[in-house]
Amino acid sequence: MSDVTFPVGIDVHEQFANADQQRHAAQLGMWIWLVTELLLFAGLFMVALVLHIMHPGSVRAAVLHFKFWIGAANTAVLICSSFTMSGAIMLSRMGWQRWMVRCMLATAALGSLFLLLKGYEYYLDYAEHMMPFVGQPYALEGDPASRLFTNLYFVTTALHGAHLTTGVAILLWMAWQAHRPGFLQARQNRIEVYGLYWHFIDLIWIIVFPLLYVVGR
Amino acid sequence: MSTQLSIAHDPAARHALWQRMRVPAFAFVALMLFLAAIVGLGALAPSRTASFIEIGLVACMILTVLLFSMEVRLETPLMRFFALIGFAWVGILFGMVLLDYLSR
Amino acid sequence: MSPLDITLRDPETPRSTLGRPPDYLHEAHTLRSWFFTTDHKRIALLYLATITAFFVVGAIAAGLVRLSLIVPNGQIFTSDTYNKLFTVHGVVMVWFFLIPSIPATFGNFLIPLMIGAKDLAFPRLNLLSWYVFIGGGLFTVADLVIGGVDTGWTFYAPLSTTFSNTYVVPALIGVIIVGFSSILTGLNFVVTIHTMRAPGMTWFRMPIFVWTHYAVSLIFLLGTPVITITLILLVMERSFGIGVFDPRLGGDPVLFEHLFWFYSHPAVYIMVLPGMGVISEIVPAFAQKRLFGYRFVAYASLALASITFFVWGHHMFVNGESNLAALVFSLLSFAVAVPSAVKVYNWTATMYKGSIRLQTPMLYAMGYIGLFVLGGLTGLFLATLSINEHTHGTYFVVAHFHYIMVGGTMLAFLGGLHFWWPKFTGKMYPEAWGRVSAIFIFIGFNVTFFPQFLLGYLGMPRRYHDYPPEFQLLNIVSSAGATILAAGYIFPMIYLIWSLWFGRQAPSNPWQAKGLEWTTTSPPPTHNFETPPTVDFAPYDYPLRTPADV
Repeated sequence: MSDVTFPVGIDVHEQFANADQQRHAAQLGMWIWLVTELLLFAGLFMVALVLHIMHPGSVRAAVLHFKFWIGAANTAVLICSSFTMSGAIMLSRMGWQRWMVRCMLATAALGSLFLLLKGYEYYLDYAEHMMPFVGQPYALEGDPASRLFTNLYFVTTALHGAHLTTGVAILLWMAWQAHRPGFLQARQNRIEVYGLYWHFIDLIWIIVFPLLYVVGR
Repeated sequence: MSTQLSIAHDPAARHALWQRMRVPAFAFVALMLFLAAIVGLGALAPSRTASFIEIGLVACMILTVLLFSMEVRLETPLMRFFALIGFAWVGILFGMVLLDYLSR
Repeated sequence: MSPLDITLRDPETPRSTLGRPPDYLHEAHTLRSWFFTTDHKRIALLYLATITAFFVVGAIAAGLVRLSLIVPNGQIFTSDTYNKLFTVHGVVMVWFFLIPSIPATFGNFLIPLMIGAKDLAFPRLNLLSWYVFIGGGLFTVADLVIGGVDTGWTFYAPLSTTFSNTYVVPALIGVIIVGFSSILTGLNFVVTIHTMRAPGMTWFRMPIFVWTHYAVSLIFLLGTPVITITLILLVMERSFGIGVFDPRLGGDPVLFEHLFWFYSHPAVYIMVLPGMGVISEIVPAFAQKRLFGYRFVAYASLALASITFFVWGHHMFVNGESNLAALVFSLLSFAVAVPSAVKVYNWTATMYKGSIRLQTPMLYAMGYIGLFVLGGLTGLFLATLSINEHTHGTYFVVAHFHYIMVGGTMLAFLGGLHFWWPKFTGKMYPEAWGRVSAIFIFIGFNVTFFPQFLLGYLGMPRRYHDYPPEFQLLNIVSSAGATILAAGYIFPMIYLIWSLWFGRQAPSNPWQAKGLEWTTTSPPPTHNFETPPTVDFAPYDYPLRTPADV
């Protein structure tokens, strides 16, 4: 299996003493970035929780309008994409660059599928007058507090969607870089570090889905 | 392309890959089962008690992703510390804010 | 002559300009070499220039506020203009000066030097964070100066969301953007301190300056994202009326305050901790003694960085949080005094029986300790529920946090600037002028802000531009003090720039201080050390002296 496996390693930048130090720094840097991502979303989760406490009835009314099954399907899609991303990481460690690229493209495809489903969901929300901020009449007009949770749903899912879109873009960019031999020899590290980001975006959605769609039904 | 396929059909190589993919596959199956439980509870038996069970299941999913998908269990203590500290701080935020809201 | 006097003599003769070793300042002179540099030392100087410019904007606004308060009936400015002025002052000083001040300049410059690294772990990220900072900062400052915002730096809902008719959204967007700069800087510092220490540089051989910056970076990382999302929600609230902070729809403005202070109280420690790091370097150097209780000071930094996340509710005692929450927050707030006091005791004990040299950095450091004690103790008053009922929202609060932020951070900033100026630039500042301006600042500061304690206690509320005539005398005293303070700020701006051309060449270690940054040349070469250092000595390795020597 020598003709398609490539040597694996990284180019060492001048500020680092050796490759280990650089790998360690990159890994740590990504974990720290993910800590900040978690706290970013935690603000929204906090608001959701407070709304659950302050207005349980209104939250329930809003939750029952959300597209539960699309949310559930999207969660499954992201769990699948996590699996393909793990595949890409494992293949990168073994030096199977082309199969790694295929796994990355599969991951990007699943991410895009998520976004498509999300877009369809937004369309359904619009059609059902569940977008109180666009100026159309609101489906739950008599229940002003339900607006808060509906709006929070849009802020949270949009922020997550922005992260996922960024993730897909970076993934495609790296897949394009990796279509030439030698990528794994110089930059295997990037796949490891990026993999953490992708898994974490999934993890955020794993929290978002129950918090917005399930709890309080 | 043909060499690629030949590798995919090479039993030794496949075995090596499977060795590595066992843990992600386990994580995948576990996450799907947890998800099924949450969706089932939410769809069939929504209630206050169910909500608490769902939150417990979410915690299990988070742990699965962290420990197995993100390989925290293999990491150095430093990485584990940074994997945990964010959740600890979310705990502070939630705890102190809820202290106010639950005692108003 | 005792042996001590010999060690105090400058062992090196200053180098001539010709034949000097290569350094980061003279490596290249083009604008490109500055604006696209990835050298942490040059980026630090870019930050220094930027925050100084922001400081000038904020200081001018402060001067106009003090001008307005000379007369009781608010004749000098309209109330709208006055509101915009104190908002400029608050927003610029807090978000664009105090928070980045010491970490982004001294931290950037010194952390790699102090731990013996060639650069920060992510140099390009470091440059990016400067661009993010200046981009967001200029955007907001332009908005504040041209359009004007009247919410104060706290952007409280529902004033900022519903009632203000000023340009709140652009100001918020700039502040949100600048937050990313904080996050990237903090990330860079934590990774650098964890992974790039020189061989032998164990955690307990690091200077306290590095410890405090580690603690501050944790606050940056754990707090800033929460303010980011909070301000995003505020933008959404104002632009789309999402309602989570709007009581008319069932939202809760107090929730905004919770989320806001979850970051903004720890932000006080973002401002104070780096200053404590600076003082912990200056005091041993000018007492020529080891830092007393090194490990306690190191742990106290981490303790402050964590406890500070449990106390934010003391800003909201009278704003509608529950009595139980107020009680708990009040109790926890007292806990902050412990690590703070540990530090003050340790600095004082370091000075005890040291051979103290009263040069400019030491004057600032001693001023810092005094003012920080006063600011800290009045903080305890404010954390007491019953006293807070009386003083909440008055000038007592204003005076308290200025004692911490100006008396603390600003004095530490200036002390550190003089202390490391020879290392930054390779030039000595004029000592006599330095001392004069340090004394001006100390006197000016106290004359400005001590009367505000009295005004606040007597009941003068903050953020009003008219007040009962009986408060006029104290207000005039305060404004007079501000002019002395202004002079104290203007002197260093002039003589430090003057010293760039006319200052004496600085030796590698003009203060006989300990620490890796003093072992390299002044200014350091691009990769900081001619030969990568190995550390086999304790921090603050000043000569141990027996009582007989003293």
